[in-house]
Amino acid sequence: MQPVYTYEYEIHLAILIVLYFILVQSFNLTFGLGRLFNLAHVASYAIGAYATALLSTSLGWGTYACVSSSMVSGALLAFLIGAISARLQHDYFAIGSMAFSAVVTAILVNWKSVTGGVLGVAGIPRPTVFGHELTENLEFLKFEGALCLIVMTFLWLLFRNRFARALRAQSEHEAAAQSLGCDPGAARLVAFVVASACAGLAGSLYAYYFNYIDPSSFSLTEMVFIMTVAVVGKPGSFWGACAATCFLVLLPEGLRQAEFSPDVLGPMRQLCYAVIMFVVVVINREKLFPIQRSV
Amino acid sequence: MDFSLFPQLIVYSLITGSLYALVSAGLSLNYGLLRVLNFAHGHMMMVGAYAFYFFSQEQGFSLFNSSIGTVGIAAVLATFTLLIFIRPFTKFSYQLTLVTTLALGTILESLVSLFFGVDVKSLMGYSGESIEFGSVYITPIQIGIILSAVVVLGAVAYLVHATAVGRMIRAVRESPSAAESLGISERKVTGGVFLLATVLACFAGVMVGVETNLQPTMGNAYTMKAFAAMILGGLGNVWGTVFGAYLLGFIENFSIGLDFWGVSLPTGYKDAFAFVIILLVLLVRPQGLFGSKARGV
Repeated sequence: MQPVYTYEYEIHLAILIVLYFILVQSFNLTFGLGRLFNLAHVASYAIGAYATALLSTSLGWGTYACVSSSMVSGALLAFLIGAISARLQHDYFAIGSMAFSAVVTAILVNWKSVTGGVLGVAGIPRPTVFGHELTENLEFLKFEGALCLIVMTFLWLLFRNRFARALRAQSEHEAAAQSLGCDPGAARLVAFVVASACAGLAGSLYAYYFNYIDPSSFSLTEMVFIMTVAVVGKPGSFWGACAATCFLVLLPEGLRQAEFSPDVLGPMRQLCYAVIMFVVVVINREKLFPIQRSV
Repeated sequence: MDFSLFPQLIVYSLITGSLYALVSAGLSLNYGLLRVLNFAHGHMMMVGAYAFYFFSQEQGFSLFNSSIGTVGIAAVLATFTLLIFIRPFTKFSYQLTLVTTLALGTILESLVSLFFGVDVKSLMGYSGESIEFGSVYITPIQIGIILSAVVVLGAVAYLVHATAVGRMIRAVRESPSAAESLGISERKVTGGVFLLATVLACFAGVMVGVETNLQPTMGNAYTMKAFAAMILGGLGNVWGTVFGAYLLGFIENFSIGLDFWGVSLPTGYKDAFAFVIILLVLLVRPQGLFGSKARGV
């Protein structure tokens, strides 16, 4: 059977791509520029999504309040991640942030009276902008695109200023960076706060778009996907991450054409991403993560 | 506080602790030698469990033949992992092996999901009737788990501390370049230890499969448990890790099994303990309970 391409379907894909632009580019800031192996990025995404979901369903808060509280809760979470990174480096930080992410997931799954446990939160309304509820996907895409444009412009400016250079410097040689007058701890903390707030925003948009969230969307699998995109797009490269996002979000659509059953499709998708990530690492192994400089 | 549950909780803690010890001992041996954090260690355990399931349940092999088959699979997996996913990257950057082992874990999980399906499988026919000792209930296989952990870890201890091979292992752990200059092949030693660690993990996987059940997603859960045990004992410190594994078993079972003066924790939080422990230990005492100096902290 020839699959039918509808306009709606392309809008859906565009919405996903724009969502991942925000999520991946913010991860690229910490992982790519700062070489910080932050496996808790997906926790900020989850917190953002739950903030919007819970505030809009149980408290009936409006769109602006929900989106900003998602960003604020993401940013607050970043202070915890920053506290971990202040004590731990390199692979220790990777385990620490992964454990932190797992604690967040455990709370989402077990605090049933608030988060609904594994059943998640349903019935999240669509956002209302200027008194108009965005029920049409095209309208939602415009709203999302506008937010994304603001965030991406901000990140683009951030990627090429003093701050980015400080972040890059601390990843290559911390003591040398310090001796040249930049504060590595402060650079890392700012990077975490910005990245986490953006992830919170992405989470908020996710909750608004799908109207339903549950903890399984914010698992380690999702984290591996985000990392795959960042690695494929060359860590630290702004446009590389954008291109990789488009490529990797659209890739499973090719698999969908092959008409696998849903049981096979999920693992197949995971397998593809993991293999692509591995192949990219093999090809670029000498320059992907530069060896720490010694002075 | 109710103390009548104590004996049963101790038995459960010993069972859980034995399983964690078998998984994490290998992870810690590897870290001590290769300085690589293997994020796929739990997934290797999961592959071992599924290999045994394949041979014993789907092919109907005998216990002995299935075990041989599982060890074979473990050997292939270890070689494949070391040569393709770890060795080519260790000389560049620690971040590369973090990424490749994360990729390997995902690859193993999705391959097992494709071959065996994502639903829960169980290894039937090994558990046996439970035996009653006073107020304590225990099945023969649970006794087997506790005893085999003691025997297997004892054998590893003998190998590492009382044989010529063990002296090589300790030499490489101390200083790879000095060991090389004395004619010890670092490649052979690390390769052998990696093989041993994978076989241990697969053995633990079979035990977990018999005691509970099999699911492709179990790998990641056990990777985290093994990390928790290793961090408790100090990274790369094998006996500290084994102690950490039993400690984790006791903490998990006692924290949810007892009600502390009317307050009891929901069972769902049991798994979260490992993660909270990782965070607390890393933040307060990054060298672990027994470590003397911290590396890279």
